[in-house]
Amino acid sequence: MSDERIKDLTDVPSFPAVYAAALLPRRGDAPRTSREKRLPGTAYRVRKVRIDAGRAADFDHLMGGPATENVHPGVLHVLAFPISLALMARGDFPFPLLGLVHLRNSVLQHRPVAVGELVDVECRVRELRPHRKGHTFEAVSTILAQDGEIIATDVSTYLAKGTSSSGSSSSSSPSSAAGPSAGSSDQGSDHRDFAPPRPTARWSLPADTGRRYAEVSGDVNPIHMSGLSAKAFGFPRAIAHGMYTASRAFTESRVDLSRPLRWDVSFDAPVTLPGSVLVAYDEDRDSGTTRCVGWRPAKGEKAPRRCFEVEIQQLG
Amino acid sequence: MTESRPATAAAAHEADSSRAVLRDALVLGGNRIPFARAGGPYAGISNQDLLTAVLEGLVARFGLQGERLGEIAGGAVLKLAADLNLTRESALGTPLDARTPAIDMGRACATGLESVVHVSNRIQLGQIDSAIACGVDSASDSPIEVTPRLRRTLHRAFAAKTPLQRIKALGAIRPGDLAPVPPRNSEPRTGLSMGEHMALTAAEWGITRQAQDELALASHQKLAAAYEAGFLDDLVTGYRGLGRDQNLRADSSMEKLASLKPVFGVKSPQVAEPTMTAGNSTPLSDGASAVLLGSAEWAAEHDLTPLARVVDARISAVDFVHGEEGLLMAPAYAVPELLDANGMTLQDVDLYEIHEAFASTVLATLAAWESEEFCRHKLGRDSALGSIDRDRLNVTGSSLAAGHPFAATGGRIVATLAKLLHQRALETGRPQRGLISVCAAAGQGSVALLESVTS
Repeated sequence: MSDERIKDLTDVPSFPAVYAAALLPRRGDAPRTSREKRLPGTAYRVRKVRIDAGRAADFDHLMGGPATENVHPGVLHVLAFPISLALMARGDFPFPLLGLVHLRNSVLQHRPVAVGELVDVECRVRELRPHRKGHTFEAVSTILAQDGEIIATDVSTYLAKGTSSSGSSSSSSPSSAAGPSAGSSDQGSDHRDFAPPRPTARWSLPADTGRRYAEVSGDVNPIHMSGLSAKAFGFPRAIAHGMYTASRAFTESRVDLSRPLRWDVSFDAPVTLPGSVLVAYDEDRDSGTTRCVGWRPAKGEKAPRRCFEVEIQQLG
Repeated sequence: MTESRPATAAAAHEADSSRAVLRDALVLGGNRIPFARAGGPYAGISNQDLLTAVLEGLVARFGLQGERLGEIAGGAVLKLAADLNLTRESALGTPLDARTPAIDMGRACATGLESVVHVSNRIQLGQIDSAIACGVDSASDSPIEVTPRLRRTLHRAFAAKTPLQRIKALGAIRPGDLAPVPPRNSEPRTGLSMGEHMALTAAEWGITRQAQDELALASHQKLAAAYEAGFLDDLVTGYRGLGRDQNLRADSSMEKLASLKPVFGVKSPQVAEPTMTAGNSTPLSDGASAVLLGSAEWAAEHDLTPLARVVDARISAVDFVHGEEGLLMAPAYAVPELLDANGMTLQDVDLYEIHEAFASTVLATLAAWESEEFCRHKLGRDSALGSIDRDRLNVTGSSLAAGHPFAATGGRIVATLAKLLHQRALETGRPQRGLISVCAAAGQGSVALLESVTS
């Protein structure tokens, strides 16, 4: 980290501009060997970003919860995400933004953040690792108070497919989409063994679920917006945004937002739209942990597939 | 029917001497209109129409024209925003003194029973001397709302200061925002309908199709017999050409019930064999009911015969959100608390009125009370509450036969039970006690204890 350069952006970048930039050919798009892969040593920072109360309320309402004074950590994620995305759209970023798969997300929040509060946001990429299907790396966003204290850290783990160290760089899987999509390619065979628990709820997700999430998050990734735009990027149907499912599970877990918390998510099969997801919650009151698993129910010959797993832990 | 059981009043007296200062809240009678199926003869009739009709019928039956009552409490579950004073507006349409205050109440399907408890508390405390508890629902005329997005957009447009700002605000309206929004049929926090929730609970308790159909058939047969015997003559007033509950099938049979396809639990992988049909589940209904209550003095002044007194009530809720307990199981917790507080066992009850939201709701509740494990672990008791004499359960039928206009069900049950208790006390020469149990959406339950009055 010693050679890291911090670049101050004047404002949070806009998603459409970042996605448009991502469509342009870049150095990272050319096939390379793994030895050449290096993550940019630049961090992006935006100072004095206000947590907008109206936007936070819209976010809460979409997740089915009441508008809260302390913000849902999903609001912090969407605040930082365009900054991370801008970093990943840079010319010296070693992977195409097209086709990144969001494998996991982990937020550690040390104190509550009130609506209207001013925060600084820093984003960097790190932890480049080989993976049998390519490489994984982490996009790390740090939310800081005006006195420099770290409020929260948001770590998103992505898989860049088709750039594996073994050299097999050609991948024509349907995940070659614009921007990061939620899903897992490192589950391999174990999804067939998934035995769903007793469901406690069903989410009936209408076709506009992705557009509704785009309204509150700004994330207009075409694979979530409509069947047609998803098709253009290799998906048969639109898929729900992973952070939508994760954020909704968070809301439904009835978390005490005044306390420090951990929010860990892992994504498996995509949630196609429109569609139904069965979910089950498991609360351990002693340890202050709530787990939620969401899955596509079995249909005919098709076995049930796990779509996401969320764990929320109240700390202290 | 043991000889040695303590009189409720005495037991309650010993349990809590502060009750000595409370006076009796007496059920004096009731009135309801026949319950109709949604889209039936009451289609196009509003909640206010139905409630006004039922209050007028009560006023006529008990000679309350020009009477200034202490309070009218009531409500509707499916309620239009404009009906904020539904009960007061309905009362103003009757010959009652226009200075009779009214309050709108709400606890989903327990709204009717809660209205009775509310006014009986007021009477017991001496705040009022007379009251009507009532409830109404029309599934045929349920509110249809605009989408939250259209609502917020319109509010922004209304708040705009210039025509240009207004046009800009209205320009944000998308075709999808214009779709009307009917009342949702599912629990907001789980996305599962009440029937789907109940199907999970029924499967967990192993409630069979056969047992559910038997309960449904008994409900129809008992209600039909009650009509035949004239029992409902002073409880029901015909309305819009309907003389009896439209859902009542006097000629139903096990064969007919067995021929119906399951409708709930069919999408749940946890329900191996779905058992809940349209025959053993309550239909969406339209209807209204009202109960007249008063103090002993007020009843005497008006030459009215008290039927029963409201002894006590309890409420409970379960955490169903993440599946810890079944959605409709709250009464299973409230009833033991109510019985304990009144020094009674489950078997001390003479008549049981367990609201038939679904046949399986009644059966799962009874199964829970028979279960050692449930009573030990969930209720924290030493042993099971035990089983009940099924011949004393819903003796004139219940919601499976009559239908279930949500907020009207409590009033139907209270008026029916009060009359039954009074009759049986006169027949047996012994005081009779009746238990009412009503489950409600969002994992809630309301229960009450009534005791016959003969004097």
